[in-house]
Amino acid sequence: MEKPILRVENLYYAYGNGKSALDGVSADICEGEKIAVVGSNGSGKSTFFLNINGVFTPEQGKIIYRGITANKKNLNELRKNIGIVFQDADNQIIASTVRAEVAFGPMNLKLPKEEVLERVDRALAYMDLSDFKDRPPHYLSGGEKKRVSIADIIAMKPEIIIFDEPMAALDPVNALMLEEVLDKLGSEGKTMLISTHDVDFAYKWAERVLVFCQGKIIADGTPLEIFKNTEILKQANLKQPTLLEVYESLVKNHLLEDAKAYPKSIQEFKVILENRCFSQALLPGLI
Amino acid sequence: MEKIKNSHGHKVGEGFSIDFYAYSSKIRHWNSTFKVSLSVLNLILCIVLNNPYVSVAVIVAMAYLTIVKGELPVREYLSILSIPIGFILLGTFTIAIDFSSQPVGQYNLYLGFCYVFTSHGKLKEMVFLILKVFGAISALQMMTLSTPSSEIISVLRKAHVPKLVVELMSLIYRYIFILIDTYTKMKNSAKSRQGYCDFKTSLYTVGSIAGNMLVISLKKANACYAAMEARCYDGDLIFLEEVKKVKTIQIITAAAFTIFLILLWGFTL
Repeated sequence: MEKPILRVENLYYAYGNGKSALDGVSADICEGEKIAVVGSNGSGKSTFFLNINGVFTPEQGKIIYRGITANKKNLNELRKNIGIVFQDADNQIIASTVRAEVAFGPMNLKLPKEEVLERVDRALAYMDLSDFKDRPPHYLSGGEKKRVSIADIIAMKPEIIIFDEPMAALDPVNALMLEEVLDKLGSEGKTMLISTHDVDFAYKWAERVLVFCQGKIIADGTPLEIFKNTEILKQANLKQPTLLEVYESLVKNHLLEDAKAYPKSIQEFKVILENRCFSQALLPGLI
Repeated sequence: MEKIKNSHGHKVGEGFSIDFYAYSSKIRHWNSTFKVSLSVLNLILCIVLNNPYVSVAVIVAMAYLTIVKGELPVREYLSILSIPIGFILLGTFTIAIDFSSQPVGQYNLYLGFCYVFTSHGKLKEMVFLILKVFGAISALQMMTLSTPSSEIISVLRKAHVPKLVVELMSLIYRYIFILIDTYTKMKNSAKSRQGYCDFKTSLYTVGSIAGNMLVISLKKANACYAAMEARCYDGDLIFLEEVKKVKTIQIITAAAFTIFLILLWGFTL
């Protein structure tokens, strides 16, 4: 197995009201992994993210980034290399122009000004925001704000990018745009963690799924393993991805042979259906 | 130059539209330090020289910059200026008139128990004062209608205004819009539930919204601080400031105009 770049060991965290939000969380994250983090509201996903980013200090447990255990002194190293795109872009955006906003992270990294400018221009071009750079955030639409908040993080060039419910409050066009960005980042080998309630998206996109339930990771595996395990889904209040459910019911009713070729997308599903029709035409009565 | 959609422009109030005009001004790309200094210099000249001709020259020049160079529609400009004009008229009116038991002055009006009167001298004094104040205001208006707040704040930072003040200004500027947004949402949701059906209910609703806003502000502040920390914020709020080159022609024009004002003052003393 690959050596993990981020290792989380037995993390405990409780909020001021004494309610524990993380109750012994351990996970290894390897380079280039695409991880979906699922679980109901209040199951500890966001708390987990803020802990591994170094914003919250865990009560117990260790966060080891590239062999170095995080402590008060090298906290910035953690924040530099792990970026979070927050759920509500309005909470994240603090500057009064898009350019200044995207530059906020790089400026805090104390980079030389030329480098900051270069990174900002790159990040804006990446998110297709170059025309917006002088605009104040309060004259942007929701989708544009989301793009700005992603450009914020891209400009910091972190190794791991965390998206906290990025699909929330996005219209279909912007959701599609986001998926394209995720694919683009994925093809560049970025390690990504995405928390989401959209099981269909998690099933389609992720290579690995972490299931949170009441401050614990109750399951960790490939999407197929997780979403076929009805017990886990029940425990975490999740439903099965539509495509998986459709496929399984087709198999169950002998309309498809059980080839274990689980389709991840509608396209794959269509190909399976077409192949089936084709073989049926050739060998009538066999299936 | 991209077109900005005036999504909440006039609906919310004057503050919003001024901010909007600043962003759509055609002289926004001018160096902000230059614009702020020009505006302040004209303001000072207007007050110190205390000369009606100078004031008129400043009013005309600033209107020229805002309307012709900045391409702000004349109607919008006048509507923005109408508020200060109202205040100036109200304020200077009391200078022009006086009360007396005798019919004195060039113009007087008998009210039954006393005379309201005024004179050429007093009227002249009033007009000069109006021009002076109006000149000063149009100089400042030129700045606010062409320079977004973030740039004015960066000029203040360069002018060594304390860091705390400058940082507070930029954060307040950013969050005021979020606050207004939140308020509008809460108000609308209260409206849809008959929260403003009569006076008593309205009072209660306004109170509840105010209380709720405080709680939400505190929550938001925490969330924002977490977001800032996540991006390596370490106590110093530093924003990227663009360098906009100031053109020589602009400096020469500004210098020439200043000399012209002083000469005007010298000749009409």
